[in-house]
Amino acid sequence: MPTEPSAERGQWSLALRRFVRNRLALAFLGLFSLIVAFVLAAPLWANHVAGTGPNEEHTVEQITVDGEKKDVVTVEGKPIGPQWLAADGKFFLGADSRLGRDEMVRLMYGGRTSLLIGLSAALLATILAVILALLAGYFRGWVDGLIARTLDVIWSLPVFLIGLSLGIALAVGGLKIGPLELSSGSIWNPIIVISIFTVPYIARPIRGEVLAYSEKEFVEAAIAQGAGPLRVMFSEILPNLASTIIVFFTLMIANSMLFEAGLSFLGAGVQPPNSSWGTMITTGVELLRIQPLLAILPGTMIMLTVLSLNIVGDALRDALDPRGKARMDAALEFEAQGGTAGSRQGTALG
Amino acid sequence: MKKLGAGIAIVVLGALATIGLASCGGGDTSGGGGNGQQGGILNATYASFPDYMDPALSYTVEGWTAMADVYIPLLTYKHANGEEGSEVIPGLAKEMPKISNGGKTYTLFLRPGLKYSDGTPVKASDFPASVERMIELNSPGSPFYLTIEGAEKFAETKKGPLPGIKADDKTGEIVINLESPRGTFTAELAMMFVSVLPQDTPVEDLSADPAPATGPYMITKSQPGKGWEYQRNPYWAKANGEAMPDLPEGVVDGAKVTVVRNEQSQVDDVERGVYEWMQNPPPSSRYAEVKEKYEGSQFRVEPTISTYYFWMNAQEPPFDDVKVRQAVNHAVDPRALERIYAGQLSGSQQILPPGMPGHKEFELYPYDLAKAKQMVKEANPSDMDITVWTDTESPNNEAGEYFNEVLKDIGFNTTLKLVNADNITTITGNLSTPNLDAGWSNWYEDYPHPNDFLQPLLAGESIQPTNNYNFGQFDDPAINKKIAELAEEQLGPEQEEAYAQLDEEIMELAPWAPFGNRTVSTFVSDEIDLDSVIFNPTFGHYLSSFEFK
Repeated sequence: MPTEPSAERGQWSLALRRFVRNRLALAFLGLFSLIVAFVLAAPLWANHVAGTGPNEEHTVEQITVDGEKKDVVTVEGKPIGPQWLAADGKFFLGADSRLGRDEMVRLMYGGRTSLLIGLSAALLATILAVILALLAGYFRGWVDGLIARTLDVIWSLPVFLIGLSLGIALAVGGLKIGPLELSSGSIWNPIIVISIFTVPYIARPIRGEVLAYSEKEFVEAAIAQGAGPLRVMFSEILPNLASTIIVFFTLMIANSMLFEAGLSFLGAGVQPPNSSWGTMITTGVELLRIQPLLAILPGTMIMLTVLSLNIVGDALRDALDPRGKARMDAALEFEAQGGTAGSRQGTALG
Repeated sequence: MKKLGAGIAIVVLGALATIGLASCGGGDTSGGGGNGQQGGILNATYASFPDYMDPALSYTVEGWTAMADVYIPLLTYKHANGEEGSEVIPGLAKEMPKISNGGKTYTLFLRPGLKYSDGTPVKASDFPASVERMIELNSPGSPFYLTIEGAEKFAETKKGPLPGIKADDKTGEIVINLESPRGTFTAELAMMFVSVLPQDTPVEDLSADPAPATGPYMITKSQPGKGWEYQRNPYWAKANGEAMPDLPEGVVDGAKVTVVRNEQSQVDDVERGVYEWMQNPPPSSRYAEVKEKYEGSQFRVEPTISTYYFWMNAQEPPFDDVKVRQAVNHAVDPRALERIYAGQLSGSQQILPPGMPGHKEFELYPYDLAKAKQMVKEANPSDMDITVWTDTESPNNEAGEYFNEVLKDIGFNTTLKLVNADNITTITGNLSTPNLDAGWSNWYEDYPHPNDFLQPLLAGESIQPTNNYNFGQFDDPAINKKIAELAEEQLGPEQEEAYAQLDEEIMELAPWAPFGNRTVSTFVSDEIDLDSVIFNPTFGHYLSSFEFK
């Protein structure tokens, strides 16, 4: 039986009221919205203010600053520093490297890339994780055993090292599996790597909840009325997982962005000349002594975005699922007991 | 010579007060030119492990620098800075070769009484065995020696003995017969590839367990990827030093080399005295700072005989069209590359670098982006998708990014591939690698002869399935013929003029877009006597020249 609509509406409006009462979360939601607006405005800034694209090089060019000509990159290879508005918005934050690209434009476009990867990887990981958790938690038996052990194997791997190796392999050779073909510089390479390795972090706790829900009366009632496994999983159990999924999804965006920044910093994520905040830190680190802002700015953007998402994610969890901890404990306890209460297909192996 | 790491290479100027070291013999314990302390262990750092720690296989400046005082060929180079260091002198051979039979026969005599570092006597017959081993290993150096009689067949069958080399262990006589005269062969006998090793040396890469030495130092421990250690060769003092008085015995008692991949850390560590020398130059971002702070006391600029260039695959569209290649040359701006290399590169658009015989300045392709775009439009290539290859080390990665954008600017769709510097030549030198369209590369002299830049990099015969250095697979019959003809002649003013003309003629066909010549540096801690350090045009820094103050 589906959750009663009026009760569901009540639950969501109650959650909204709880969330709105959390001033800190609202402030950071505002900050996150500003960051999103900042990166979405990249083409406007690039076309109407800076007059350059994110990958356009100005190595040997000069700009006029307060009526005086200045090299974008000196003969010794030093990029110009922040000009703020002295050059009509050109090189507002200076040049990014010896290639003389506009740092502000790259910061905005890089943010789009980082957010896109974070969002896509979290979405892909969440979809995969929910499907696997539903299959494992509902069918149990060998299906659960296979999925749970596979997740355990991924969980037990040194995620970052394996992700790094896989990222480098994809960055050099691309990917071709049947009709699926990704070029070496494709943004999908880091997305796939990140999502593969974050699936267990979402799937395992959700699987525990599925195990617990599958014992509830409304599920048994649906089965008794002749509902098939797909309907039970997606119409009966899935709506009840919504709050948990939303919370995990939010937190996973932040984690995926950090993962992407790490991979890109080490050359296994976004490939040059495209920028992400991670690749910009790599470029900036080399020039840390002469232009420290080049590393500090993208680092700060990552920190603010991740902090915002984590605080908003925590607030969502508190708002959507105030008893979540108790319920999670119950699910884990259920799992620890072997999921035998009313089990249809034997013990859960997780 | 291909340079894989951040780089070092080779010089021409210098000329500091180190002549004493270069001239001191085996019995001279000072070794260097200063009044420094005898002994001590030098702590050094390289940014990457050499391609091989095996003289038959290594083809990088890092490798040759690491082994220059360990493995001595029959001929070698004078231990001196700059042009003086380009002079070929006898190494394990008693004297320079006697050339007869119209330039086809080279006769040398091994010095008597030489021993390897394990105490085994060095025999004349070790030389042909070492050449055979080098060819059997498919060394990138083997093309230099394929004019030896029977070498081509030996390279195919790997079955010996090599008929073109006769050695007599009793008299020490070594006779090398060539199929045709080769004007560069004397210099090629001084290359690391034909260092003499014991006959029972395994035919395998010995990077982790280096072969016994003939030079003043031996490698006692080697951990590929991490580092290696040297100690004095005990048989240098007992035998070899006396037999080869022109080569110094060195001042320090040994050295420990650590691979530190972070060049920023290398600079910090040298400043703090953790390491006494870094083999590669400071990273571009620190270069100006280090130069300003330490030049004259701990830092010295070393011009090199090198060419940095972008290659284009002349076998396939779009670069099989000379108009497209010429357009790329017009689109590449050496001034931009000078900035990218942070002042450590002088812009140039020709193959032969300054300091190389035959270098004559010309400018065929002044920077003109509009013209380049128009030329590409007129050529209307059938394939507009290009993969650009470069390595991950700064600023080579930025040079690759620059080239990638240049190609985009003139209308191509590009994909940039960055490959670890340790593997870039292995990948781009393997013809089975897909999408070898264009890329970044460089070349440092192996020996002071223009053929060293033309034959391995631009002659059709040099195209190999693996270990290929003719990355653009340029193969023009008329050019091939001229390179081959000039290579047979001994170098003189007439030949130098002919090489200058050939350089221009090749660049009219634009197989590359050359963009400059690099300088490198010597950077040591305040404990080292900078004046004593020798930077040789071919082998780089000699370990034997370092001394503590």
